[in-house]
Amino acid sequence: MRTVLRASLRTHTRRYVSAAIAVVIGVAFIVVTSLLSDATRAGLVAGVELPYRGADVVVTDVDGDQAARIVDRAEATGDSAAVLGWTPQQVRVDGRLVDDRADVAGIALDPSLRWQVLREGRFPEKPGEVVADVNAVKGKDVHVGDAVEVGEVAGTVVGLVDTPSASSGGAFYLTWPDLHAVDPDLWVDSVAYAGPGAASLELPRGATVQPRDEFVEQRQAELTNEVNVLAILLLIFAAIALFVSVLVIANTFSILFAQRARDFALLRCVGATRRQVLRSVRVEALALGVAAALLGLLVGTALGYLLVALAISALPGGSMAYPAPSPEWYAAALVTGVLVTLVAAWLPTRRTVRVSPLAALRPDDSTSVRTGAGRVRVVLGLLAVAAGASLLALSISAHDPGAMVAGGVTSFTGVLLLGPVLVPALIRVVGGVGGRVAGAPARLAAQNAVRNPRRTAATTASLLVGVTLTTAVLVGLASSRSAVDEDLDRDYPIDLAVTAADRPLPADLLERVRAVRGVGTAIALEGASARVSGAGRLPVLAASGIASVAHGSPGMAAPAPGEIWLPADVAGPRRVTVEVGEHREVLRVRSGAGWGDAAVVAPATLAALTDAPETWAVWVRSADGADAEDLAGDLDALSQAADASLANSLRERTWVVLQLDILTGTVVALLGIAVVIALIGIGNTLGLSVLERGRENALLRALGLTRRQLRATLAAEALLLSVVATVLGSVIGVTFAWVSLHALVEAAVDRAPLVLPWGQLLAVVVVAGVAGLLSSVLPARRAARTTPAAGLSLD
Amino acid sequence: MTTTTISLAASARDLTRVYGHGDTAVHALRGIDLDLPSGRFTAIMGRSGSGKSTLMHCLAGLDSPTSGSITVAGRALESMDDTALTLFRREHLGFVFQSFNLLPMLTAGQNILLPLELAGRRVDAAARARYDLVVGVLGIGDRLGHRPGELSGGQQQRVAIARALVSEPDIVFADEPTGNLDSEAAAEVLGFLRRSVRELGQTVVMVTHEDSAAAYADDVVVIADGLVA
Repeated sequence: MRTVLRASLRTHTRRYVSAAIAVVIGVAFIVVTSLLSDATRAGLVAGVELPYRGADVVVTDVDGDQAARIVDRAEATGDSAAVLGWTPQQVRVDGRLVDDRADVAGIALDPSLRWQVLREGRFPEKPGEVVADVNAVKGKDVHVGDAVEVGEVAGTVVGLVDTPSASSGGAFYLTWPDLHAVDPDLWVDSVAYAGPGAASLELPRGATVQPRDEFVEQRQAELTNEVNVLAILLLIFAAIALFVSVLVIANTFSILFAQRARDFALLRCVGATRRQVLRSVRVEALALGVAAALLGLLVGTALGYLLVALAISALPGGSMAYPAPSPEWYAAALVTGVLVTLVAAWLPTRRTVRVSPLAALRPDDSTSVRTGAGRVRVVLGLLAVAAGASLLALSISAHDPGAMVAGGVTSFTGVLLLGPVLVPALIRVVGGVGGRVAGAPARLAAQNAVRNPRRTAATTASLLVGVTLTTAVLVGLASSRSAVDEDLDRDYPIDLAVTAADRPLPADLLERVRAVRGVGTAIALEGASARVSGAGRLPVLAASGIASVAHGSPGMAAPAPGEIWLPADVAGPRRVTVEVGEHREVLRVRSGAGWGDAAVVAPATLAALTDAPETWAVWVRSADGADAEDLAGDLDALSQAADASLANSLRERTWVVLQLDILTGTVVALLGIAVVIALIGIGNTLGLSVLERGRENALLRALGLTRRQLRATLAAEALLLSVVATVLGSVIGVTFAWVSLHALVEAAVDRAPLVLPWGQLLAVVVVAGVAGLLSSVLPARRAARTTPAAGLSLD
Repeated sequence: MTTTTISLAASARDLTRVYGHGDTAVHALRGIDLDLPSGRFTAIMGRSGSGKSTLMHCLAGLDSPTSGSITVAGRALESMDDTALTLFRREHLGFVFQSFNLLPMLTAGQNILLPLELAGRRVDAAARARYDLVVGVLGIGDRLGHRPGELSGGQQQRVAIARALVSEPDIVFADEPTGNLDSEAAAEVLGFLRRSVRELGQTVVMVTHEDSAAAYADDVVVIADGLVA
């Protein structure tokens, strides 16, 4: 039997390639996950203790003012305290905007609490002195001695530092008085406190104080946990990829064993026992699993280190360090890969040994092997779909995520069980339409595609999994995005607003703004400088033409007569008195945000306030695809020159949109791995079918099917499989998204309309279709290469 | 036999076919000269390995000769590329194989109409009449809805013959058509081939190694060691 096994491995290696690829990808996925999470953990945890090295105790859960009081007390008693806190700020160096949203952090004056490493210049010794992180300002032309403005605070860059503690780092470091002045509400992570007073700190309510070592330990554990959560999320995607691999491998084995049924029967004829045959094929599967899993470890290791190296070189100050490969993860990945292969091979191998020795003596009819869906399978499938659907319905009415997940898994399993009935039926429908349009090749393809329903279903199932999840995620994110967009429109209606402070804007400013690259629409707003009771001096603008620059339809675009829209941070009482020179009006206050430091009134109201309105603001809507940072930088320069201030909502909008895009992209890319495996599976099924149908294809060629038509037939078969799986997956995915929207999101917000991202959904279908076509290229070439005579003499 | 105006269905001149090269080269055909008259039932006979199947594959445009010329239905095959050959087969030739070679997923009727479908031809009244005629002659009218798996060997071969005849080809090539049949079914199939020559005016070229099969033919060509004996 060993000779047979070895010969079989030698002969059939090529046919196992795609099954091996599926395992390699799955195992490599796990290894990459482990390396990336280890690199992140190593990077984050490295230097966590540094900021607290000189501290006796660490205070957490305090806000900016409470932190300030702790620092004051330390100074008063001769102790020292350093606040680890951050605020995102605009930073200008020599009047030039270098970062619209820099992480600004604190640096201690006391050397024992100072943990940054000096690279150039010196550390700050008093307020007004700033140091910059050498990596964060790389390429931004920032040097020692430059004048710097962080938010509203001006100072000088006195040094460049390196940040050895990734989890505490910032791009610019200010002394505490400056940092607190820039943003009194800054986010305070912790206060490191050193000195005899540490034991008797008076703490505000809710604050926590811990000895340094205890705090550091806890912090390290927290960071590790965060990374572990990320790793688990990644592993979910790895599990999906592996599940798809199981389908692909199981299908490969079924097809291979069907083709080799005669060989097995022959072996049985010449005296091999059932056990021997069984053991031989199982050892074959084991060999494949071990080889592929080992290769997966290698590929994953190479890929993981490559990704970490790329990340480190792209973000030198980032939170990554070179990982140490963990034996546990590698062992787990190896075992998973082998197990996946063995499980996938289990059922097909069981089926092979049922072959009777007599089968070898019958004429070659392996191509007429038909497998259908058993009645049990159909009943089980229907039951699962019904049970899943009721669970989903329950999850909607009860807003229960557990029921939703269970319902989703159950109903999807049902769909997979029904596959051998459902998929061929769909293929017949689609193929019927295609046959009418594309002629004989398409009709042949449709008939080929449904001749073995179970094989067809297994092939499409792998793609179905990937597409269903991708579509559900795309629809879910698009739907949540529409809610986010509404919020954005409310909070950030105007992309960029140049608002004059003390004198009107120059007459030519509108033209100059319009000339800036990235400006879509810009309007000038007429107004007057007014004294508003409770809010001081503010430009009052007449709302006119605002709709042409605003996102959505904010209320301030059309104030009612007698109303005044004030920025939320100055809007106090319900009524204010507005005075412009001699004129005075009492107006009802409405508040909003996102258009700068100005009040907005109806044009008639402004006319009542002044006879000679002047341009006090220019509002800008950015062009689609404009670079938000460049645009803000250019407009900032213009407004500085005009003594005006720039309110930048585009930054927030861009940031939020970018986060959503990154989230969407990441999830789709991770699911993409499962889709890739599935497409390899389609190519594989086709390739094996081509081998099996060599004689038929030769016959068709003899009867007058041209090479091109033969290739078209296989392409059409691949297209049918992938498009049917994609469309079915899209429908299920949209349904799942709809259910989860009602079960989860609607519990949180009042209404969550289903938004179908048609473009993206279409892209999924097109990509799957094209990839399906691509997967048919190799098998089709192979099929078309054989001459009819050679194919006919195959046996 | 008068020698005046016998039109040729196919002819071959100095036909050679070599498989492989160097020491392992196999000379399947070593220079065949052959004329096949139309409207007749010709048997090409020879032992296994004599080159008779290779000769038929070359004549039928399924395989390309190493050298020599072939003319079938007035067209020179050696100048055609693969697509032209395929289209030529579609238009002018019909095939019957030893192992039936029906497509398992199509019904008998669909298998018969397959050549027309591949050629993109509409099944018009004339084609339908031809189909009915062929089906009638072969006596498979009641089996048309069945798939090959549900037919006996003889029935399958009759379906294959019907498929070969339905497009009114210039020549029908039959490669060991009775090789997989019992003697009763074989006699029946050979009878049908002869009837298609007599009653439908077809030209049939059959490759066989059985004397009993060759007995049904009008002419017999014997091939041995790649040459006409």
